[in-house]
Amino acid sequence: MTTLFTFYVLIWPALTLGVLTLICRAVIRDRRKAQEENRELV
Amino acid sequence: MNSESLYQFSTLTVILLLLAFYGGTYLLTLGIRKKKECADEFMVSNHRIGFGIGAASMTATWIWAASFYAAATSGYTYGVSGPIHYGLWGALMILFIYPFGRRFRKLAPNAATLGELIHARHGSSSQLILAFSNVLGSIISLMVNFTAAGALVSVLSPLSFQAGVIISGVGVLMYTLWSGFRASVLTDFAQLVALMAIAIVIIPAVFFAMGGPSELVAGLDNLTVEQTNFFSSDAILNQGAPFFVAVLAYAIGNQTISQRLFAVNENHIKPTFLTATVGYGAIVIGLGMIGLMALTLGMEPLNGNMNNLIPQMVSGYLPPIFIALFFILVIGSLSSTADSDLSALSAIMMADVYGKNIARDNVDPKRMLLVGRLTMITATVVGIVFASFSLDILVMLVFVGALWGAIVFPVIASCFWNRITNQAFTVSVLVAMVLFCVARFELVDLAGPGGLFFELLASIGGGVIIGLMAFGFFGRTVGFIAGFLAMIAMLIFATGFLRDYTVLLASLTAYGTSTLVCVVMSLNSRERFDFDTIAERVGNYSDSAQDAKPTTRPEEAPVTAGLATQR
Repeated sequence: MTTLFTFYVLIWPALTLGVLTLICRAVIRDRRKAQEENRELV
Repeated sequence: MNSESLYQFSTLTVILLLLAFYGGTYLLTLGIRKKKECADEFMVSNHRIGFGIGAASMTATWIWAASFYAAATSGYTYGVSGPIHYGLWGALMILFIYPFGRRFRKLAPNAATLGELIHARHGSSSQLILAFSNVLGSIISLMVNFTAAGALVSVLSPLSFQAGVIISGVGVLMYTLWSGFRASVLTDFAQLVALMAIAIVIIPAVFFAMGGPSELVAGLDNLTVEQTNFFSSDAILNQGAPFFVAVLAYAIGNQTISQRLFAVNENHIKPTFLTATVGYGAIVIGLGMIGLMALTLGMEPLNGNMNNLIPQMVSGYLPPIFIALFFILVIGSLSSTADSDLSALSAIMMADVYGKNIARDNVDPKRMLLVGRLTMITATVVGIVFASFSLDILVMLVFVGALWGAIVFPVIASCFWNRITNQAFTVSVLVAMVLFCVARFELVDLAGPGGLFFELLASIGGGVIIGLMAFGFFGRTVGFIAGFLAMIAMLIFATGFLRDYTVLLASLTAYGTSTLVCVVMSLNSRERFDFDTIAERVGNYSDSAQDAKPTTRPEEAPVTAGLATQR
């Protein structure tokens, strides 16, 4: 029960970390691509 | 409103925190500022926003201050399943709109608002109904976010509620005014990074500071049977179901979503919306867990105000640095939504009102830009005034909810079914609004045949919601079957029962009525619409003003799409 509840509470910040990493990597890639194409990021 | 029980920052500290946040955000926008901004870019950037910025902006926009407070309140009220019943359905609002979003984008690749698409499909009356619902929604959102800023500042510092409202309003306007949507999406990314980083730290910090897993499990004894049940019917009927009903309505009725839909690179729509769904759900459900923790500890919300739950937990268990982080978390979330609302409102006034209904064939991009900026200033003032005087917006909220529910089917069907007419769209929405009001305010006796009548309409509404969701992902056949089965299930199980939940009954009635009227009127029509004409009618404003040349993508641009051809 304790393990289950620990998982239930902590899975959300773990998922948030995963999404944050994904977004940051994608933005770096977007920026590099925009520079290569000589256009603005937004 | 100031309280001795919560940690109090000094006036100087709060001003420095706000200055750092809004000053830093403003400086960030200087990097993308152009002396002469382009009207189209002011509304939707270059239609080629990448996956990263798009997903970040979508997530940050969808998370507003109320998300944390309401998720925590849900966790505190409904127990174990509470945060899920708030965060999951909110996240699904993003997910369920993307299949329709791809269709919107395909039909009108150069649109800035959904209203432009509807204008090209039907004409002014349908478009203005949609635009009006979008404007009301964004004004309410602005007001709620500024109110949250005022409440936070007054709870954690000696500064007044009004001071917090004004500082947040002016701060958001300052960095959004010049570059519009471009500033909004760029700052959304920075704000989301801060927001996520803080959430990642704060949730486990509170969890372990309150005693960790053992304390949480021991505290489950304080909960009622319903609160410990993960499949609590109380939580489903009072929290989950009304949210589920609103899933499509919120997404269709919200220009902030359409704006990003039209701005993101078309190939990245799916990953952008999927990532935003997971991101939103994770942050909001995670922070909702703090409400569950408060419940297991037997904590009472300060002054009976549920919005104090998270500040109380953070204040009670963590050092001041975490309270400062929490402060930035809330200010970041409300600012990212407020700047998106300003951008959405300006796009609606620029494209839907000025472009389509005032200037028509003679759009002046400079004047259009001026309209956008003046809209932002006016909307900020209105938001600040409404928030400062704590005006009662309940009636406004009720009507916006009804309007959003009523327009879902006509808007979606208009993009797939060539028989829907402008008259069917307009009449169906108006009839649905009237019947919504009758059910919501119980203008007829719901105990007798009146109740049965509305339950029948609501059952159709339930079928429509499930049917549309299934249709979006699996196509027409599955959509029809799922919708029909859902309607039958509703007729069996909801009859004689749904009348006790008037909010849910009225919302479903809005869906059911608008669908019924719209379908019957459309079946009687001999009109057949050619969807290819939409892309021809919705072009870019700046390009058309310069040379009236087409701006659709080369591979699918057989005819001119300049402003001169828009009507």
